[in-house]
Amino acid sequence: MNLSNEQKDALTELINIAFSRAAAALSDLTGHRVGINVPEIAVHPIRELGSILERFVREEVASVHQIFSGPVAGDAMLMLNREGANILIDLLSDEERNKGPLDETGQEVLTEIGNIILNACLGMFGNLLKVHVSFSVPVLHLESLSAMLDTLVIGQEELRYALVIYTTFNLKGSAVTGYMVIVLGVASLDRLIRAVEDWAQIQSS
Amino acid sequence: MSKILMIDDSGLSRRMMRQILEAGGHETIEASDGIAGLEQYFLEKPDLVMLDMTMAGMSGLEVLEKLRQMDPNAKVIVATADIQSSTRALVEAAGAKNMINKPLEKDAVLRAVADTLNETR
Repeated sequence: MNLSNEQKDALTELINIAFSRAAAALSDLTGHRVGINVPEIAVHPIRELGSILERFVREEVASVHQIFSGPVAGDAMLMLNREGANILIDLLSDEERNKGPLDETGQEVLTEIGNIILNACLGMFGNLLKVHVSFSVPVLHLESLSAMLDTLVIGQEELRYALVIYTTFNLKGSAVTGYMVIVLGVASLDRLIRAVEDWAQIQSS
Repeated sequence: MSKILMIDDSGLSRRMMRQILEAGGHETIEASDGIAGLEQYFLEKPDLVMLDMTMAGMSGLEVLEKLRQMDPNAKVIVATADIQSSTRALVEAAGAKNMINKPLEKDAVLRAVADTLNETR
C-alpha cells in the first residue's frame, strides 16, 4: 500500500501544522524553545514496525500512549529518551528528585506532558479535517521498544498496515529528544487520506 | 475571593491550576477523579468548578452532566488539552460556561474565572 506524491505532500503539510501546535504546547509548558524536524510519513506492514522504529529508538523509552477513536481511530505515542524524560520532569517539578527509577511525581508529569502534546497534535487533526476525535486516558509505559510495541492498540481494525508518522523534536540543546508516532489501521488510513485530499483541495482552491 | 473546586486526575495539572488560582486570590479544593469531585461539590458547595475532560473512571463530560443534574446552576469551566472546536461545542451544549486549553496560561485562566463568576452574580 503506497501513498501517491500528492497524498504524501498533503498529509505531510497537515501533520506539520499539527506537530507544530504540539511543539508550541511543549514550549509553553517548559519555557524553552522547541525545535521540530519535518515529519516523515510511511506506510508499513504492522509486523515491520519494530524494525522500523528500532532505527530511531535503541534504548529503553518512556512512552505515553493515547488511544483515539472516531472517524479516524488509532494509537498515538510520544516516545522520549530516558535522559530527556528526566530533564522534562525536573523542569516541571517543584521538588528535588533522585535520578533513580521514576517516582510517582515523575510518572505523573510525563503522562500529563504526553496528554498535552498528543492532544495538541490530534486535536489539530480533528479541527482541520472537521472530524471529532475522542481520547482515552493517557498511559505511560517505561520499557524496551519491543515490549512497548506489544501494547499497541488499533481498535478492531484489521492490523495489516499502519501509517507511521515520526518526527523528532528537541529542546535544551538536543538533550531532550522525542518521537511522535501515530499508528492507524487500514480503514482509518483510508478515511484519513480522503479527508486530507478534501482539505488539500479546499486549501488550494 | 471565591471557592473553586478542581477536578483533575493529573497531580501536575492540579498543582499548576492551584498556583494560578491562589495567586488570583481564590480558595481551592481538589478532587482527583469524578466521583470524589461530585462528593466534594455536594459537601463544599464551591462557587465554581474547574473540570478536566479525559479522566479514568467517569469522564469529564459525565461529571459535567451529573453536576448539572445535582445543581442546574453549577458553574463549570472545562480545562482540557483537547483543542478541538467540536469538543468546545460538546461541553458548551452540556452546560459548561467556558472552556480553556492546557497548557494553562495564567491570564487566560483568571480571565475565564472572572468572566464566569461575574456572569451570574
